[in-house]
Amino acid sequence: MVSKICTGNYAAAYGSMRSRARTVAAYPITPQTFIVEHISEFINNGEMDCEYIEVESEHTAMSACVSASASGVRTFTATSSQGLALMHEILPIASGMRLPVVMAVVNRSIASPINIWVEHNDIMPERDSGWIQVFCDNNQEVQDMILQAYRIAEGKRVALPVAVCLDAFILSHTVEPVDLIEQDAADKYVPEFSPTGAILDPDDVAAVGVFTPPDYMMECRWQTDKAMRNAVEAIGEANEVFAKQFGRDHGGMIDPYMVDDAEAVLVTMGTASSTAHEVVDEMRAKGKKVGLVKLRFWRPYPSELLRAIAEKVKAVGVFDRAVSYGIGGPSYIEFRNAVFGLDLPVMNFIGGLGGRDVSLQDVRFMYEKLLEAARTGVVKRDITWMGTRGVEQ
Amino acid sequence: MKLKELPDEELFTRGHTACAGCGAAVAVRNLMKVLGKRTMVVNPACCLLIFGATYPYLAWKVPFHHVAFENTAACATGMSRAMKVRGKEDTVVMGIAGDGGTADIGIQALSGAAERNEDMLYVMYDNEAYMNTGIQRSGSTPFGAWTTTTPVGKVKAGKADFKKDMPLIMMAHNVPYVATASIGNIQDFINKFEKARNMKGFRYIQVFTPCPTGWRHDTAKTIEVAKLAVDTGMWTLYECENGKVKINRKPKMTPVSEYLKVQGRFRHMKEEDVRKLQDWVTSKWEADERYAQCRQ
Amino acid sequence: MAAQALASAAHAEGGYATAFPFFGAERRGAPVLAFTRIDDKRIYRKTQVYEPDFVVVLDEGLLETVNVVEGLKDGGAVVVNSVRSPEEIDVGIDAKLATVDATSVALEVLKRPATNSSILGALSKATGIVSIESIEKGIMQVFGDRLGEKVGERNAKAARIAYDRTVVGESHGSRVLKASNKWLPDVRELPMGVAGISLDTDAGAVGPGSFLENKTGSWKVFHPEYDGEKCTMCNFCWFYCPEGCIYRKEDRMEFDMDYCKGCGICANECPAEAIKMVR
Repeated sequence: MVSKICTGNYAAAYGSMRSRARTVAAYPITPQTFIVEHISEFINNGEMDCEYIEVESEHTAMSACVSASASGVRTFTATSSQGLALMHEILPIASGMRLPVVMAVVNRSIASPINIWVEHNDIMPERDSGWIQVFCDNNQEVQDMILQAYRIAEGKRVALPVAVCLDAFILSHTVEPVDLIEQDAADKYVPEFSPTGAILDPDDVAAVGVFTPPDYMMECRWQTDKAMRNAVEAIGEANEVFAKQFGRDHGGMIDPYMVDDAEAVLVTMGTASSTAHEVVDEMRAKGKKVGLVKLRFWRPYPSELLRAIAEKVKAVGVFDRAVSYGIGGPSYIEFRNAVFGLDLPVMNFIGGLGGRDVSLQDVRFMYEKLLEAARTGVVKRDITWMGTRGVEQ
Repeated sequence: MKLKELPDEELFTRGHTACAGCGAAVAVRNLMKVLGKRTMVVNPACCLLIFGATYPYLAWKVPFHHVAFENTAACATGMSRAMKVRGKEDTVVMGIAGDGGTADIGIQALSGAAERNEDMLYVMYDNEAYMNTGIQRSGSTPFGAWTTTTPVGKVKAGKADFKKDMPLIMMAHNVPYVATASIGNIQDFINKFEKARNMKGFRYIQVFTPCPTGWRHDTAKTIEVAKLAVDTGMWTLYECENGKVKINRKPKMTPVSEYLKVQGRFRHMKEEDVRKLQDWVTSKWEADERYAQCRQ
Repeated sequence: MAAQALASAAHAEGGYATAFPFFGAERRGAPVLAFTRIDDKRIYRKTQVYEPDFVVVLDEGLLETVNVVEGLKDGGAVVVNSVRSPEEIDVGIDAKLATVDATSVALEVLKRPATNSSILGALSKATGIVSIESIEKGIMQVFGDRLGEKVGERNAKAARIAYDRTVVGESHGSRVLKASNKWLPDVRELPMGVAGISLDTDAGAVGPGSFLENKTGSWKVFHPEYDGEKCTMCNFCWFYCPEGCIYRKEDRMEFDMDYCKGCGICANECPAEAIKMVR
């Protein structure tokens, strides 16, 4: 295994090469651009055997991936923000057709105002698009999750597309050491592509995407819902096998840290998890019983796992790098649903929007608020807009 | 291939639910005979999707794929590349869409695929409006025509703008083959699909397919109307093969009023508007002829 | 549009009415289903109609394949577009039944076989649920608004003529229809992603090429009459047929009435005048 200093974008591109994606259709957008550039280089240097389609838009990128996947080949694409929004129409088509397309999403703020920095508001509208979604907090995880994504996505039990999410710039453009997986090891982990359902093939005629009347819709929707539920098991297995082969355990659905005896726990997604990890160590050293849940999979959502943790602690905070206007952070809303009926103080911290930095001090602030709630059992403020000028903290 | 040599087998079967007298159905069942069994079809949301593929029934006996509305050429791209990866390049990947799905909402993906010279045959069946949603104006609707979004009202009546010249736009992409065809000209129709089948790279054929429901003519007159379009010059039959343009049939220049009067969609047109349309037809034909001379 | 015009007629009489089609996607000429509900107070129900008071059948041929009286309330009535008398029609039960040759009325007045306006005249006569004057108003409003005043007037006239010609009687039925068999797979059987694959089901074939199961011959009003003597075997009709239901035989063409929708293209294009359209 080669350890190399590289960006999250490189890790994503490299992961797609090692997974033997045979058709890539992608369109450049900041901050995803390096992914498509790296893939083009791999192909032009003869390192990657792949049809690269230099499409004229993200809508076409996703459309071409859907049709290539429906025609029986492994596909990959990558996008961000506005590009993801342009793809939106085709995303539920990928899941509805049960196609294991894998996509890297470099999470960037969605306009307006136009902004190119990190935020999770681009992917939140895709919660119900039927895509499995995993958030990474380091570049090693980005590469590893691309490989795991194919293992999770392919196969009859799941047969759903997967989005591997990485924070704009904080991962996409930041270099970190990554153990790059070699081809034979990758081949051992990601089996050769074999289509899950009926495909488009001149030698075995079938139709994919037929106008469907009400008589068949409930059953079809149920199947997709079941597939998403089945994904929980597939995700666990993919992680276990990976850990055994490569010695890296990313945790599966969630990655809890110091929660066993914690009084106050913070739930985070993406790179905020990494920063919070350091703060937990610091506060633990001072005897403060704090813990962290790194929420990795956003779909399927780990309701039961989170509830089991919530039952043992005194207060939980949810950090959102996104907002659902007028109601709070999307992760917070989902978490409250998971802990419905528990007598537990839950607080929401919205921060880091549009690339505003999430500092150690921010995380300390969140934990202090949580410890206070744990002590008193009282939540003074449900939703806090972190460091927002003119707004009470 | 001659008419009598076309195979009997229908790769687009009867029992489909197109309106009686549907011009698109005439085009589809015959072009499939020419293209043959190793054809794979991409079709957007349009009449043809509904009348040829309503679950669990299909008129198609070849692989059929629908994804959305504006992305026929994008999906055909994905399918075509996948066939390359799988070593099945002997297939004809055909994207077939209506005029709305091609000239309006689909033009971006179409232009992209043409520019990349993707290996596909793209067919636009031109019935000159959004028929699937109930006869709304498209970029391909001719001047003066009634549609439900260009209704005959007290102040305005019919479409105020002229038909978008899609074949010319496609020729500007410098692809291997661009042709116009009509269901009323059998041998020309067969020749063009046969030629396209045997070529590689991006091929575009626009077929003129009257729609009795939307054009408000007798269901028996579908072919008659198609022939009149060619005779009057409303529809030019030509082709551009590897950059060389050839007119396949010179119009008789029958007065355009002959074409208009058999269709209810033009019934309201005033004399001055008919004149305006006639002028447009005349200058369009002159331009087509000159263009063909330049690119011989 | 007929269902809407009926609702409009009932509304004109001071009632409350709703009308809606079965939201299908069939093209013009295909069998369709539409419902009208009439009451004197606001109607809250948004479901389809399962127990109708009256059933209107625009295409007599459907009696062969559809149990049109399914759920019909006791004392209900059936109106059928037919040249036959009520006594000659068998809907499977004893019922009050009215007939009118709406197709002829439509051809006379509208010059095309659009029977949906005429049949409303028959409904008025048979049931009295709304007056013929209100039907005329309803047609004027719905057809006139959409297709122009003149078209509205012609359709209202068709309804009035049909009203006058409608015969109301009783029918005694004994027909037993085979329960319609539809392929309704459960969540384990439905192919993943609703893929269209070839399957032989209890309800017949599904998947590629299975539209053959759908006999569209019932759509037609006119059908082609073929004169083999005149035929030159030019194959034009074979090419021009939108359905593909003209077959080439050794020395003649064969017309498959199970699928012919009666468009008339073959007759219009035949250079030898070997085909003509007849009712």
